[in-house]
Amino acid sequence: MVSMRTILSAAAIAAAIGASAALAQSSQPVKGGTLVYLEQQAHTNLYPPAGGFYPNGGVLNQITDKLTYQNPKTLEIEPWIAESWTVNGDATEYVFKIRPGVTFSDGTPLDAAAVAKNFDTYGLGNKELKHPVSEVITNYKASEVIDSLTVKFTFSKPSVGFLQGTSVIGSGLVSLKTLALPDDALGDATKIIGSGPFVVQSEVLGRELVLAARKDYAWGPARLAHQGRANLDVIKYVVTPEDSVRIGALLAGQAQVIRQVQAYDEKQVQSKGFTIYAPPTRGVNNSVVFRPDNPLVADLRVRQALLHATNAKEIVTTLFSANYPLAKSIIASTAQGYVDLSAKLTYDPALSAKLLDDGGWALGPKGLRQKDGKEMILTAYESPPQPQNKETLQLVAQQWAKVGVKLVVLAGDAGSRVADSLDPIKTPVAPAMVGRADPDVIRSQYYPATRNVLLQKGGLATRVQSFVDDKLNGLLEAIAAETDYAKRMALVGEVQTYVIDQAYTIPIFEEPQAFAASPRFKDFAFEAVGRPSFYAAWLAPK
Amino acid sequence: MIRYILGRVGQALAVLVVTFTAAFVLLQALPGDAIMIKFMSPEMGLSAEQVAEIRASYGADLPIWEQYLKTVGNFLSGNFGYSIQAGVPVRHQLAVNLPPTLQLAGLAFLAAVLLTVVLAAMSNMVGMGRLRGALQSLPSLFISIPVFWLGIMLIQIFSFQLGLVSVISPGPVEKLVLPVATLAIPISAPLAQVLMRNIDEVLAQPFVAVARAKGASRSWVLWRHVARNAVLPTLTIAGILFGELLAGAVVTEAVFGLSGLGGLTYQAVNNHDTAVLQAIVVISAFAFVTINLVVDLLYPVVDPRLGHRVATTT
Repeated sequence: MVSMRTILSAAAIAAAIGASAALAQSSQPVKGGTLVYLEQQAHTNLYPPAGGFYPNGGVLNQITDKLTYQNPKTLEIEPWIAESWTVNGDATEYVFKIRPGVTFSDGTPLDAAAVAKNFDTYGLGNKELKHPVSEVITNYKASEVIDSLTVKFTFSKPSVGFLQGTSVIGSGLVSLKTLALPDDALGDATKIIGSGPFVVQSEVLGRELVLAARKDYAWGPARLAHQGRANLDVIKYVVTPEDSVRIGALLAGQAQVIRQVQAYDEKQVQSKGFTIYAPPTRGVNNSVVFRPDNPLVADLRVRQALLHATNAKEIVTTLFSANYPLAKSIIASTAQGYVDLSAKLTYDPALSAKLLDDGGWALGPKGLRQKDGKEMILTAYESPPQPQNKETLQLVAQQWAKVGVKLVVLAGDAGSRVADSLDPIKTPVAPAMVGRADPDVIRSQYYPATRNVLLQKGGLATRVQSFVDDKLNGLLEAIAAETDYAKRMALVGEVQTYVIDQAYTIPIFEEPQAFAASPRFKDFAFEAVGRPSFYAAWLAPK
Repeated sequence: MIRYILGRVGQALAVLVVTFTAAFVLLQALPGDAIMIKFMSPEMGLSAEQVAEIRASYGADLPIWEQYLKTVGNFLSGNFGYSIQAGVPVRHQLAVNLPPTLQLAGLAFLAAVLLTVVLAAMSNMVGMGRLRGALQSLPSLFISIPVFWLGIMLIQIFSFQLGLVSVISPGPVEKLVLPVATLAIPISAPLAQVLMRNIDEVLAQPFVAVARAKGASRSWVLWRHVARNAVLPTLTIAGILFGELLAGAVVTEAVFGLSGLGGLTYQAVNNHDTAVLQAIVVISAFAFVTINLVVDLLYPVVDPRLGHRVATTT
């Protein structure tokens, strides 16, 4: 007869073997499982060029593949759906060789014709279907299908940023069926047919989205360690707007990854053994910009005075954490062509006061600077997507008040915010940032025909009277067109110095995207601008 | 009676038309619109001509009166237009969001009524003594609890600390427990206040003393004589509270991340998504008008004296 003790010791040994096997496995990726991912906001329209909005990018990055892969560590462009490519001398012709055997999840081939149609849509837009032009593609002229796996793109003017442009989420490749739908229909995620490692399985609009791994996926970026299908079986996105509910659910084990963790919540999450991920967005830093068309900030001395009245270090240490590095230029230190300009960005209230005095702005009875009967009162709208932007602007306002300048920070509704932000008289000051891992991002941010943050004449802002900076625009055009890498980087350096010398912008910090994840969640990766990639990720057993 | 009903239905229709028009005018008067918010935001990087084309394709460049007539025509044919921000037809959004809100609001209302009746009954039970004072002050406490705070506290305690219910991946019934409680508690407060006060008032009336003198028990008097008289003002309040129920649903749905009309309204307001808002306003007005119509028609049932008055005046 077997004694109780024998049974118990056998059970103990079995348990020990099981445990050590589990331990050995925990460093090996585990296949299967469901990831519950909590998003702060619902995705909107999933037309890929609208992927700049973070909730959209977080979905599109899992369901679409890109022509090329930007290595987030080196920022080099590597093969993905394109096996190889050639670019002509002045960057007006690009030829891509497509990887054979790739299919969209509806079974149609991802071939040269499909790639051509995608970029024709993103480069030229589609009036009938209301598809807008992609921000990352400039000077696009036409496509040509050379054979079933070779496609050529031509440009009316040099388009150096195009190769990197093919690697961004906004250039995700979708099936011809998706491109044939009007923009009005693309808010329904189930209509977005990509070739990515995950496929949209179901959606409760505005609340929940379920992605399932594509079992036959075999075309991840060639140089990634992970190949074949994704490790996870299912990703469930749940929209959870309330910060405390997202964090509570993560800590209680009801979710494994959450997006948007405020700096003040980081400690609480880390103290419980959870991990904060803060991948950089590598673009134009979180900044305060001026609209020099407004007479109050038209004088360089006034802008310089406010630059030196701003204590960015105090903002970072008061409101943020080590994941939000102090800005040392207009672009992030992780961006290509970055130049350290911290010597020009000093906090110096005495110099600030002198510059204002020199500009004719004398301190008035209420402690407010005034000139010709006009008081120095500036206005800015907070930007809700930026982390603690209201608090940031309020701290800037306190700092400026010390030199006699009043900054009014408005919340406003979206309509007033967008309308007033296009009027330099109403918003002489504005918060700004944009992420993209190519120097073209600087052009995007400042050029009149694109984001136009300084509100120059020639853009969407029709209220602008006269402000144009031809020197700045010339530099920006040159960045878009310069094909020689070293010369292009020299121009990137020059434009950084020029913008700071003109005090057009006051850089504050390098903006990350903050996520928190369960310690069970492994190999969590990010693309070059901080959107999550769940392709290689896996969940260790409990 | 039929003339009375027809008259009330006519009034209800007039209210709907006025609400529709007022909503249209107000939404037009707001600075900016959904097209501007979506397509003129700097992230899109579009040129003025491109935005103008998009504007034309949505018919947003037509004169206001033409847009109004078009919208009226569309609504009459059941076409609510497109949500510009979300990129889906409004009909689709309503189909997803209306049923959960009706369910939440309906259950919360029932729960609130139940809570009210229990509170009122308990505070009038014999032998409650000091507890009566405590029970009667509960509604004032409930009315001062913000829905938002209550929701977060319930989640923290019952889901995250005690692990009794999941907020993120709940079952169909589990999903409703905390949100219904969150919404029902503040809604029950004004109902309970009105009902308790009325019960006290009716109890002080001479006929109650007569009934008691005749030997009726306290509970018999309460149920047969007092409740019926005290419930009428409560019914009026209940009709009006419907609006608050919707407002509470907005917050509850945001806290719990539920899909529903609340979350939809919140997003649509943020993005000036006029087509969505117009549809929500009309649906809410319709529900409000219908509920108040039903309450009006219930009066004569609850209080036959009112039935006579209606019959004689119309």
